[in-house]
Amino acid sequence: MSVVGAFCVSVNKEACLNAKMPGKCATCVEVCPHGVYALDDASGEMFIQNYNACVGCRICVEFCPTNAIRINPAEPEYISRYPWTFGVIEEIHYKAQTGDYLLRGFGTHGQTPNFDMITVVPSQIASDAPRDKYREECEMDVVIGEDTSEKPMHLKLPFVWPAMSFGALSKEAKMALAIGAAMTGIAANTGEGGLLPEEAWLSRGYSDENSTHKEWEPGGYLIVQWSTGRWGVSADYINSGDGIEVKIGQGAKPGMGGHLLGAKVTKEVAQVRGIPEGTDALSPCRYYDVQTPEDMKHMVDFLRNATDYKYPILFKLGPSRPYADVAACIEAGADAISIDGLVGGTGCSPDLVTQGVGIPTIACIPPAVQALKDYGVHRKVKLIALGGIRNGLDSFKALAMGADAVGFGSAAEVAMGCRVCYACHKGNCPYGITSQKPEMRARLDPVEAGTRLANFIHATAEEIKILTMLSGHSRISDLSTEDLRAMDMNTAALTGLKLAGYERPLPMWEGGYSSISGNGRDGNGKNEAAP
Amino acid sequence: MVSINAKKKDIKAVNEALKASLNGDTVHIVNAKHIHGLAAGLKEGEIVVQGDAGDYLGVLNNGATIRVTENAGKYAADNMTGGTVIIEGNSAYGAAQYCYGGVFIVNGDAGDFSGTMNKGATVIVGGNIGDEAATYMLNGDLIVLGDAGNNFANYLINGNVYIAGQWKSLGHNTTIEPITDEDIAKLLDYFEAYGIEADPANFKKIVAASEKPFYK
Repeated sequence: MSVVGAFCVSVNKEACLNAKMPGKCATCVEVCPHGVYALDDASGEMFIQNYNACVGCRICVEFCPTNAIRINPAEPEYISRYPWTFGVIEEIHYKAQTGDYLLRGFGTHGQTPNFDMITVVPSQIASDAPRDKYREECEMDVVIGEDTSEKPMHLKLPFVWPAMSFGALSKEAKMALAIGAAMTGIAANTGEGGLLPEEAWLSRGYSDENSTHKEWEPGGYLIVQWSTGRWGVSADYINSGDGIEVKIGQGAKPGMGGHLLGAKVTKEVAQVRGIPEGTDALSPCRYYDVQTPEDMKHMVDFLRNATDYKYPILFKLGPSRPYADVAACIEAGADAISIDGLVGGTGCSPDLVTQGVGIPTIACIPPAVQALKDYGVHRKVKLIALGGIRNGLDSFKALAMGADAVGFGSAAEVAMGCRVCYACHKGNCPYGITSQKPEMRARLDPVEAGTRLANFIHATAEEIKILTMLSGHSRISDLSTEDLRAMDMNTAALTGLKLAGYERPLPMWEGGYSSISGNGRDGNGKNEAAP
Repeated sequence: MVSINAKKKDIKAVNEALKASLNGDTVHIVNAKHIHGLAAGLKEGEIVVQGDAGDYLGVLNNGATIRVTENAGKYAADNMTGGTVIIEGNSAYGAAQYCYGGVFIVNGDAGDFSGTMNKGATVIVGGNIGDEAATYMLNGDLIVLGDAGNNFANYLINGNVYIAGQWKSLGHNTTIEPITDEDIAKLLDYFEAYGIEADPANFKKIVAASEKPFYK
């Protein structure tokens, strides 16, 4: 289902500057990432050349100096014309004209199972009394690699910035994420595009290359990603962070590797990645240097060895078979495992993969937690939930389902200014977040955007604190599925949560996870097959 | 001469002993076939592995010279960025993948997918190389004195592939160019430096047809 054709574009000619004075204003033409508007070179008149290309980001509305544009969703079409909506028709025409399939930036849209049909259960008289958010403390820190690493990562709050590479993001956006991490004590992540030198010191809170001046307290961490393209990776690279993340997959395009199109491979990006300028950087879908689970264990061993056993090893999974995949990561020796759900974002992906491939985040967490319990490492090997998590409410639900931390990728971009136009791959981001063009990048101030990110994190942490304490807890690690209820049958079926009103899990979940998975596990943390 | 017997030792113990011994002398290691990731991430040193080596030998090597007197396992010199890795016997699947720099030499044969995603290293194979060699190579030189398997240099993006023998099939995005005087001089330098007997004039040169074959 394509997003094109889903919006009505109207321009009030009474208010439009260009309509009155052709040639005097063409802001909408300049800012629209999708070419909805065009300019007649001869007359200087703006005209709408493709109504159906509008994706509803409303950047034109925001930039229009006279507020002359209205963008309204055409939702009824999805009832009256479904399945032959304009979007579907436009997509077929595009393919028929070009022979290409659609690419898309950002992430999944439309309705997929999500956190919204889960409600939080507050504490009252029959349960532990609520805690006082205003006058009592709430423990929210998370330690990764405590038993395995000389230098465990001690996140002050249960958040990470998920991997987003330099190349997919601008230098300024990467710097902002590092500064935001430093201001809040959380972890930034290089992504798979190599190390932007500034990330190393900014994420720790230092404003200078020699790390002599601590500008931002408390200082955060940097996770360096080890992936299938191995862009910019060396012994120095893996020793430049506070943890190494082994990327297996991601929510937006599991099974596909990375996509950075040549348009965004500038001289500086090419230098950091160690590849020719302007070439497509397409990470392989799998590790060429791993063929068996034993190889993966050896990879973890040599990564620990080449970093003198100082740093934790994290894994990142796409949404596939959460129980078995998490079990494999535990077997390989992970200190933490991120699992990214269906709606996880990306800088570029084939449209159909982002839209139609992967398990929803809410259905990934319960099997992942069960695997950790079966191996006796729940809360020891940390689980980080990713994929469309927007706020404290989503975060709380993920934590109560058993995750130890959450990550904000798409939400972080929005916190920096993104309006979700789905065109990250084109390299023309008007907010300078996913563009490598100097004129776009100049619009993003790293410190200002870093402050916005830190504000977002602080506000979200407060939201989680409110929910944790009103449900009778004073630390997030005490949260459990008892703090949640599903509000419809589908969500109860996907998650195993108790159904509101029914007050127990659906009958098919009564035997625990094993009753639905058929893998012989009893759902109570006991498993004959596991060690 | 320093000698380390790796028998019954794990990677941590062997590499700790190795790092402690790197003070200018050549370090000899024996009984190391079970160690996967031997000599990982070293910036200096001369190491001789007597006998066979395990998988991931010299992974992330950034300056050390590592010689194996017999065969190496899978993924030898994985992700090397500098230094030299010499295998006097054969190297198994996936030798010298993901390398940015340094020199990898195998006197015998190299397995499938060797030289994959090479981004700048020099890889010299004295014998034959397997299938899918130099897949998605982005830079550097691959020199094969023997034959190559199927799908040779598939989706080559940049760099040069030189081969004296035949290939079973050539991969996508490849084209054959005449070998130049510059190429011959370069190959001669390599052959002289590493004591290889071969005539550069007999080599064929394969390069990328396009730097951007995936998306228009």
